[in-house]
Amino acid sequence: MDKEYIMPFVEATEAVFMDFFNEKPELLNPYLIKRTETIDWDISGVIGIAGQTRGVVVISFSDSMACSLTSRLIGSSISEIDDDVVDTIGEVVNIIAGNAKKGFESYRLMISLPSIVKGNDHNIAWPGKNIPIIGIPFSIEEGEFILAVGLENIITNEIVN
Amino acid sequence: MNILVVDDSRIMRNIIKNTLENSRKYGKIRFFEAQDGVTAFREITDNNIDLLLLDWNMPRLNGLDLVKKLRRIEAFETLPIIMITSEAAKYNVIEALKAGVSDYVVKPVPEKKLLQKIERLVCAEVK
Repeated sequence: MDKEYIMPFVEATEAVFMDFFNEKPELLNPYLIKRTETIDWDISGVIGIAGQTRGVVVISFSDSMACSLTSRLIGSSISEIDDDVVDTIGEVVNIIAGNAKKGFESYRLMISLPSIVKGNDHNIAWPGKNIPIIGIPFSIEEGEFILAVGLENIITNEIVN
Repeated sequence: MNILVVDDSRIMRNIIKNTLENSRKYGKIRFFEAQDGVTAFREITDNNIDLLLLDWNMPRLNGLDLVKKLRRIEAFETLPIIMITSEAAKYNVIEALKAGVSDYVVKPVPEKKLLQKIERLVCAEVK
């Protein structure tokens, strides 16, 4: 896999985690996500990308990790998903998508407002049948989380294979 | 100094407010808050705002459109506005500056840089 195309997302993820949670996440091995795959996580932040291409950026966590990260950010303990957790995950994916645009300056891209999907093993309807979706897993103190990215005509099957 | 912090994320508004409060640089600050451009416009017209710290991507009225709207009104032609946004592409920065923002900061908020920009923009007037 050509990592050049995922590095803007990796760098943006590292920046927001360093700033918000005071920890640099460790990048694990990126892989191609199967479109039929159920997301084995509890909460996802989703940003749509439009403009000169279209795509999606999704970050997914377990309940406990989302609560733990929010607790780190606001400085008080949270044990279940609440408005603060939703706000935190939304802002994290917003910053990752907005920052990553810097890596694709030759395309004029617009990002949507973040949406949050909750619930065990939820599904994401990935856009466009031919857009490969790259899973970029990271590890932090609490365990692993995943960033999933698809960008039509930018991240292509040739890059992935 | 009256500062209006506009962001649809309450946590981001708190981060920005804490950054300014912890710096202890600006004496007594009265914070106003809004979660979208429509509410922000009402706060600006109802209160004597010295500085607007403004997100870009928000529901109802986004930050860029709010700036354009404000700059068409004589009373707000010179209101200091710092856009604080995740939008990091150069064409976004240029678009915001053309619309009339006084300065631009990319999230995650670089504390020192934000304080320097605020100091340059408004502190001379306040003192």
